Amino acid sequence: MKNPLRKRLLRELKSEFGKYLVIFLLLAGTISLVSGFLVADGSMIIAYNEGFEKYKIEDGNFRLGEKANKAQLKAIQELGVTVYDLFYAEEPLTNGSTLRIYPNRDQVDLVCLMDGEMPTGTDEIAIDRMYADNNGLTIGDKLESGARSWIVTGLVALPDYSCLFSDNNDSMFDAVKFGVAIVTPEMFANFGKDELYWNYAWKYDVPPEEGEPEQDAAEDLMQGILNEAELENFVPTYQNQAIQFTGDDMGSDQAMMVILLYIVILIMAFVFGITTSSTISREANVIGTLRASGYTKNELIRHYMTMPTVVTLISALIGNILGYTSLKEVCAGMYYGSYSLPTYVTVWNAEAFVETTVVPVILMMAVNYLVLRRKLGLSPLKFLRRDLSRRKQKHAMPLSPHIPFFTRFRLRVIFQNAGNYLILFIGILFANMLLMFGLALPAVLDHYQAEIEQNLLCNYQYILQVPYDAMNEDKKLESMISMLYFRNEVETDNEDAEKFTAYALNTPDKPYMKESVTLYGLQDDSRYIPLDFRDEGVYISSAYAEKYLLEPGDEITLYEEYGTDTYTFRVDGIYHYEGGLTIFMAQKELNTLFDLGNDYFSGYLSDTEITDIDGKYIGSVIDAEALTKISRQLTVSMGSMMGLVNGFAMLMFMVLVYLLSKIIIEKNAQSISMTKILGYSNGEISGLYIMSTTMVVILFLLISLPIEYEVMVVLFRMMMLQSISGWITFYIGPEIYVEMFVMGFVTYLAVALLEYRKIRHVPMDAALKNVE
Amino acid sequence: MFLTINNIKKSFGSGDSRVDVLKGINLSMERGEFCVLLGPSGSGKSTLLNIIGGIDAADEGDICIEGERMADMKEKKLTAYRRKHLGYIFQMYNLIPNLTVRENIEVGAYLSDKPLDVDELLHTLGLYDHRKKLPNQLSGGQQQRTAIGRAIVKNPDILLCDEPTGALDYQTSKDILKLIETVNQKYGNTVIMVTHNDAIKDMADRVVRLRDGMIRKDYRNEHKIPAEDLEW
Repeated sequence: MKNPLRKRLLRELKSEFGKYLVIFLLLAGTISLVSGFLVADGSMIIAYNEGFEKYKIEDGNFRLGEKANKAQLKAIQELGVTVYDLFYAEEPLTNGSTLRIYPNRDQVDLVCLMDGEMPTGTDEIAIDRMYADNNGLTIGDKLESGARSWIVTGLVALPDYSCLFSDNNDSMFDAVKFGVAIVTPEMFANFGKDELYWNYAWKYDVPPEEGEPEQDAAEDLMQGILNEAELENFVPTYQNQAIQFTGDDMGSDQAMMVILLYIVILIMAFVFGITTSSTISREANVIGTLRASGYTKNELIRHYMTMPTVVTLISALIGNILGYTSLKEVCAGMYYGSYSLPTYVTVWNAEAFVETTVVPVILMMAVNYLVLRRKLGLSPLKFLRRDLSRRKQKHAMPLSPHIPFFTRFRLRVIFQNAGNYLILFIGILFANMLLMFGLALPAVLDHYQAEIEQNLLCNYQYILQVPYDAMNEDKKLESMISMLYFRNEVETDNEDAEKFTAYALNTPDKPYMKESVTLYGLQDDSRYIPLDFRDEGVYISSAYAEKYLLEPGDEITLYEEYGTDTYTFRVDGIYHYEGGLTIFMAQKELNTLFDLGNDYFSGYLSDTEITDIDGKYIGSVIDAEALTKISRQLTVSMGSMMGLVNGFAMLMFMVLVYLLSKIIIEKNAQSISMTKILGYSNGEISGLYIMSTTMVVILFLLISLPIEYEVMVVLFRMMMLQSISGWITFYIGPEIYVEMFVMGFVTYLAVALLEYRKIRHVPMDAALKNVE
Repeated sequence: MFLTINNIKKSFGSGDSRVDVLKGINLSMERGEFCVLLGPSGSGKSTLLNIIGGIDAADEGDICIEGERMADMKEKKLTAYRRKHLGYIFQMYNLIPNLTVRENIEVGAYLSDKPLDVDELLHTLGLYDHRKKLPNQLSGGQQQRTAIGRAIVKNPDILLCDEPTGALDYQTSKDILKLIETVNQKYGNTVIMVTHNDAIKDMADRVVRLRDGMIRKDYRNEHKIPAEDLEW
């Protein structure tokens, strides 16, 4: 015979439909989001990895000062590689962005057409899909560059630009102001030779293994090219951010999403635990009778665990179906909002299934089992006597009779429901944290942008690019001449220009990610960064100090990118600069430390533009626009997600407040009924029971704000340490707090209205029917 | 003897507030016997019933049912003991509100390997026409009948009744008592009924009167009358 108690389950579902519906919606919503994310992420990672083969992605690319002749190409190819033309031109467009234009490829870095058609005429162009999205361009639009114009015929993804880094030295990509495009070879032939960049891709004839052999192969190839031609740029694929960044980033978000899911499941499991506990209290006599009749504790635990488990299981299954269908597209859209990825095919993800179905069900069962084991561990007699408290409350909490009666009454309701309110507090904390993240991120990025623009070291920082031929170890004399020539060419007459030395070292790769720190060697009495260096100490930027919690007196140890040399610096002071992780020291000190020579410098600080240095000697220009790339890109890629996060936070908040305040009213149904009999109006009763929750919610909303801020500062810092180079201060303006409070309170008011309805519907005979 | 109660003692509280509820109860019963425990409030009759039922523990003494000592039983075994041997009826019916009459009785049937036929029992209880109703659609008497059905459907060796008519009016109480009498006669269960209603003793085979935690009277009722004829 099957346990007849199971017949209660459907009826329980029917009678408590509202409760189970909101729990289902929240669980299914979260699971579908996470499942969709994991499936999209997993499928895209597979598509990304398979893309190396499918789209014949290069093993690297290099740029020469001049077009390579046949002999040079032959000599380079004899180094064990096949070289392909990958020439391009760059066109500044009238919309303020720059387009890097390639002719169509058919041998390497093949183009993935996402929408429309490939160009066939000389006035047609296919542009990067993400660049198009970010600039509001669609098929049929006209692009103009002053001298030329094209009609957009298609949207494409180039596998060598899955992340739109215009320069491999950039700390962040900028898919708003930089894009790539494909034209017909005929159209490309219209570009003048002086407009072209002589870029080549290579593929190894015998691919070296990853790691050191790959590095050695790339270094050998670079030396070989240097012997044959004037090398301007050399980027092996393993170092190419435009190819690698996407793959590195895609995997890192998974853990965060899964943790979000588990936190929601745990909170909901405790909510279930509380609602079940409340049901057990209500059904204490029945449980006592069943236990006295011979039902075992485990039979009852199984019975009360069934609904939470079934609801979670159904939520997980429906969540997964939604995840694989609609939410997958939303989540893939987030990646397409950040990266220029090719098309993907949905791949069944067993790990995602375990993480979004098996683990949530197990978590739900484990939490409920523990709660129920404790709750049902009492003797049958205690249930029969409705004596369910483990600790006897010997005295009522003393409350002064001077406190008005209604306030005392409300306080008693609060004391009676302390456990529920604790869960509510944790829920509010979590929901508000999500809300804070959603509301604050745009403000944080705006603040960062404003801060950068107001506190530039100078308007332009020029980093010079030493020609590759000045580094040819096989031709030392030619290298020296080349270097002398370079030194002569990079002198300027600009009176604002101040020489400085820049040098890059890395932070250790443990416990956080490795990232680059720029060392600035400054002249004595620097006009731009007036610091007084003493006793070999250094100053660090405020961004560096905040990210790594450094203070004057601390020592920092940094590493060479390649090699084993380490350098330790003592921090003497902190210089207010948020634009990057930097160390400021005397130029002489820096030149000596790295054995660069007394007169060495590698760039200029200047408030005005330097116009008398050939562009080919300038590696990069760091101005306000370059420094704010990161905030622009984060705004574009995460902006759409913030609405989703805010909506989810509100839903979570609403569900928790609804469920927990519902329990409080149900627990007190008999008292509410009795107060009705005594002649209290619905308004007065709501004033007693709803007002208690209102007071608590207001209190929780207020005290949770500083806690959330502190937690968020820590989490934000951890996120930056783990996955983002540089530093953005977590800043929240007072308006965000007001916004959060108002959103929380308005959400609560909607729930309170439902609860008021519930109070109105408590029948007067409830007090009489259930009296024991 | 089917049931033997040896020197059961039980107290509540400690120090000055210690109350000795049972001060050494000795009792033995035959299978199928109908025993009424009488006594005023606080005399210890419900406590004794709970100890027999294995839902409360004695401080001293032991209870043997068919040679099995309850004092040796751990929680699991006690549950199995209740499952196998006992049926409980309380003053409050404690029915499961979202199960029908039939399903509430099935809740008891589930506990037994050889339960009574539920439909036949519904007829015996006079509940067959109400079998599809929920408890809140029943009168107090009908609810108590359902509770009795739940207790006896597993055909327990002992039926423990704690003031089963305490919340019922005169006529309904008599109906319930008649039902218990029928059950006792039809199924041969040992019935132990706690009551403070003196009149009920007249329908019992055995009357045990408790006061201040001790048995003051324990006698066989030689002039047993049917429940139908009880008056109070």
